[in-house]
Order: sequence, then C-alpha cells, then structure tokens
Amino acid sequence: MTGTTKAGSKRRVLGAALAVSLLAATLSTNALAQDPLRISIWGGSWKDFAAENIGKRFTAETGVPVEYITGGTIDRLNKAKLSKANPETDLIFTTSHVGWLYASDDLYEKLDMAKLPNAKTLFPEAIISPFHVGTWSYVYTIAYRPDLVPADIKFTSWNDLWNPKLKGTIGLPDFDPSHVIYAAALLSGGKSAKDWAMGQKKLLELKPNIKAFYSSDATSQEKIGSGETPVQVLLSGNAYHMMTQGVKINLVVPKEGAIIGIDTVGINKGTKKSDLAYKFINIALDPATQTLVANKQKMGPVSPQAKVDPAVAKLPGMFTTAQQWKDQAIVIDHKLRAELLGEWRKWFTENLIAR
Amino acid sequence: MTPDRRPAYFAWFILPALFLAVALVASLASLLQFGFREHIPGSLKVGGFTLENFGRMSDWVYLRVFIDSLLLSGCTAIANLLLGYPLAYALVRSRSSLLKSTILITTIVPMFTGDIVRTYSWLVVLGKNGFINGGLKSIGAIDTPFELLYTPLGVTIALVQYSLPIMVIILAAAISHIDVAFEKAAASLGASPLEVLWNVTLPLSMPGILSGTVTIFAWTLSAFATPQLVGGGKVNMISNMVYQLGFSNFDFPFAAVLSMVALALVFLVLYFMGLGLRRLERVGLH
Repeated sequence: MTGTTKAGSKRRVLGAALAVSLLAATLSTNALAQDPLRISIWGGSWKDFAAENIGKRFTAETGVPVEYITGGTIDRLNKAKLSKANPETDLIFTTSHVGWLYASDDLYEKLDMAKLPNAKTLFPEAIISPFHVGTWSYVYTIAYRPDLVPADIKFTSWNDLWNPKLKGTIGLPDFDPSHVIYAAALLSGGKSAKDWAMGQKKLLELKPNIKAFYSSDATSQEKIGSGETPVQVLLSGNAYHMMTQGVKINLVVPKEGAIIGIDTVGINKGTKKSDLAYKFINIALDPATQTLVANKQKMGPVSPQAKVDPAVAKLPGMFTTAQQWKDQAIVIDHKLRAELLGEWRKWFTENLIAR
Repeated sequence: MTPDRRPAYFAWFILPALFLAVALVASLASLLQFGFREHIPGSLKVGGFTLENFGRMSDWVYLRVFIDSLLLSGCTAIANLLLGYPLAYALVRSRSSLLKSTILITTIVPMFTGDIVRTYSWLVVLGKNGFINGGLKSIGAIDTPFELLYTPLGVTIALVQYSLPIMVIILAAAISHIDVAFEKAAASLGASPLEVLWNVTLPLSMPGILSGTVTIFAWTLSAFATPQLVGGGKVNMISNMVYQLGFSNFDFPFAAVLSMVALALVFLVLYFMGLGLRRLERVGLH
C-alpha cells in the first residue's frame, strides 16, 4: 500500500514537472514569437499616427508586434548614445539634421536602398543621407491668431515679424532657432546657412517683439491657444492640429519661402531585426501611407505618388509637387545644419534667451 | 564614557547610506570630469582636457542667470516666511479644529499634486485672460491685463505656492516645540498678545525660521519646471540654463560646470545656515 502510494506520488510529481516544463516551453516560444520591433519616436500624435497607419499594417503583414519608445528629440538621442553597445530600439524616427548627429556618432546602420523599393520614387529631397530617409515634411513658418493681431498687420515676408506693432507678441522655439536665424540672415543679404552671422544684428532687433520661447510642441500649442503669444514661428502640423481644435490660426508662407523640416527614419546600428526594420520603413514610404500622411496628418508627403486631397494640397506648407519644393521650400543643408546647430543655439541662448 | 550597548547588527543599517553616498560621489565625479572636457560643436562627444569652461563662468550672461536665481530664490524664501509663519502659528496654537483643518487642506494638500500640474494651473491663473486678469477686468479695475506670465513676479508667485507647504511644516514643527508656559508667563506679566508673539514666540522659533528660510532658498535655487513653464524662456534660473546648454546646445561640459557651481553655492548656503544655527544655540534661543 505504501509502495503504491509512493509510486503514485512519484508519478504525480513527474506529471507536474512535465506540465510545468511544457507550459514554460510554450510561454518561451510565444515570447520569442511576440518579440516586438522597437521604435524610438516622439510621443503624442506622432506616435499615434505611426502606430495607427504604419505599425498596424506592419503587424498584419509580418505578425510581429511593434513597441514604441517615446521621448523628445534630444532625450532619445542621448539615450541612443548611452545604450550604443546594446541598442534599446531597432528603428529611430527623428528630424533630418538630428539624424546626422546619430550618423556622426555611429548610431545608424548604412541603408541598403535595394531593400526599400518604395524609396525609388521619393522626392530627391527625401533621401537625406546614406543612413536616414525622409518620411514626411512640414514647415516652420509664421502663424498668427487673426482675432488677436491688429487687422492692419499683414504677413507676407519674414521681415513683418520685426513690425514694432508686434511688440511683446511673438513666440519662438528655444530648442531649434535655425528657422528665425536663417530668415534673419536672408533678410540681411545672406545667401546660405553659412552666412548666418550676417543676420545677428537684425535678430537682436527682434527682441522687443519676443514675448516667450517655447520648449516643445505642447508648450507651443498652449501659448498660441491661450493667446499669450498670438504670433509664432510654428510647425505647420501643429498649426493644423490647433485649427482642428477650433483655434483660429492663419499660417503664412512668406515670399522668401518657408523653412522646411523633414522627419526621417533610420535603423539602429546593432539591431537584430534588420529585415523587419526595412519592412517597416518600406511601409512608411508606401504611397498609400504617404496619402494618409498628407490627408490625415496634414504633413507633406515624401512620395509624389501620394493621392493628396486637393483641399489639403492647397494648404500652406504642403509641398506635393517637385515644383513646389523648388519654389516655396527653403531647405537648409541637413549636415551643415547639424554642424552649425550647436553654434546657433549657443549664440541664441546667450544673446536672445539669457540676456 | 558609556559603552555602546547597541547590537552589532546595527552597523549594517549604515549600508543604504553608504550606497547612496557612493552613487552620489560617482555621479558628481562624472559631472566634474565633464567640466574639464572640451565641447565639440554638433556632436555629443567631448574633446580633450580644458579649463575654458570655468573661464566662461565670468561671462555676464551666466553671472546674471546666477544673480537672477539668487534673487528669485531669496524673494521666494522671504515671501514664504511672511505667509507661512501666521499659517504655522495658527495651525499649532489655534483651538479651532475647523481652522486647523482648513489650514492643512489649503497649504499641505497641494503638495500631493505634482509640480507640473500645479505649474500648469498657474498658467491658467496668471495668463492675460486668466483668473487674476479676468477677475480684475470683470470688476472694471483694469483695462489692460497685467503681465504676470513670463515675468519674475509670476515665477515668484508660482514658486511660493509650490514651496509654502514645506515652510509651514518646518515652522509648525519649530513653534510646537516652544513651551506654552513661556507665552503664558509673558502674558501674566502684562504683555499684550502682539508683544508675546514679538518678544517670546518669534525669538524662540528662530531656529525654525532660519532652517525654513534656508531650506526654501536652497530648494528653489534648483527649481526647473516652474521657471521653465511660467518663465517661458524669459525668466531663466540655473537649472533652465543647464538644460538649455546640455540638452539643446549639446554643450555638456559647460552645463556640468554650471551644475557644479550651483551645487557649491547650495553647500555654501547650508554651511552658513549651520553657522547661524550654532550661534543661535550659543545665545540660548533654542
């Protein structure tokens, strides 16, 4: 009786061990199958758009889930640098010139364009470097609240920001002053970003008109939404977002042109999911996705094959043809911008923000 | 000399403190070495050894940020004392539980909301169309709104509200340690309530006043979120400048120098606070 009980007990233990082993093996297999593609991107509407319009399709086609690691542009760059030996993400969305900082710090894989068939048809301006490629464009340009700015003030040129009637009304980004620095240089006779010092005197003359500096998309929207800074040098996508929230905003492309910004994507050096990363990028560059970029996000598509709603195509800062890119967009050389940005920010911080 | 009768395992209790000390010293050492490295524009990498970053501290732009920060923190500490002392006194000495509860709710409870939430609500209150300007306009007191946002006054108001709970707690602790018998004795000898407060309670609560003022001063000297949001880039304190230099300009070496100088300043303030407290103890005020 005792022997039978012992044998039964042994069988039960063995059975339990087998069941646990099987369960562990199953869980482990599932975990491997569910190991996601990790993407570094900004939070808020940027992440939502990527998740909804690129990530879902990617998962449907590959069965691989996508995990989004969100954060600010510079915070994510610092994180990528700190985890260089063992990258936390597989793909990185960032702005074109910041992408050059990733490249110069050896954080990007060199792209194999043969694995990105959709890249063949892009606007040439979207191929930023051998390491990163544009996904959508926008402009930083003059935006104003018509209900809070005197009716006799018209914005046709960057020079209109210097109108004395705008004293204490303007909001500028503190994280990237390249737009207003470049505009001041142009107005002072400069021809390229290298001539930026020519605009320094003019920039100092803008000080009385500056009410505040904003440090993020959220604070930019808060300041123009509340009317604290009824005039801003503003990202076009943010302006269109605020308009959908019922805020009256006019966006202007000055006669000198608007400063173009291109958001890009690149592959983390050392990723173990290179093929999946290419697949994700290719979906992002697909004309169907680019159509959504324009029509849903009101951002400029990088593919001329995007089917842009005619009403959307007319919006300021929405460049949908090669001719528009040529005539209306001011493209500052991305690499030069990355190299000069530190110097620009230092000057801007010391002479406009801190003084 | 009494022998230490505590069990031997008590010595292990020092381990968490040791761990914290090692982590702090390692971080400060890392920060310090950044201060001696060259900044390479357009790169996150730093270059070779240099003393130039310390030389830049003499630039008026950065000196002014320090002076502005000292002034803002000083004004915040004084305003805190003026507002906090009556509240703390009433909190300790009042016999009305309703009054005590009201003071607790209005001063202490806001501490449990995050500083970002509190600061954002100040944007609503101080704005051109905010609570203050809107209220004054609606009663016809002003035509054009006061400029409160993005001004030193606005930042000070928000910092005072942010730090007031701590001041009240420190002062209330100090006042509660004062033996009521002293106040009763002064009153029995004919002193008016105001004279009792001025000649007895205030001097006896001086250690609390000193430590509260210095704590608020040192704490708000490193404020970031409040000046960042309410100052709107027009009112910059040391932390905002460190952020600008480090995270916008990638100039980590100079940002490290600014941080170290700010830290040294706080240590200096704490040193003088210690001196002051020891002097108070010598004259028998505590």
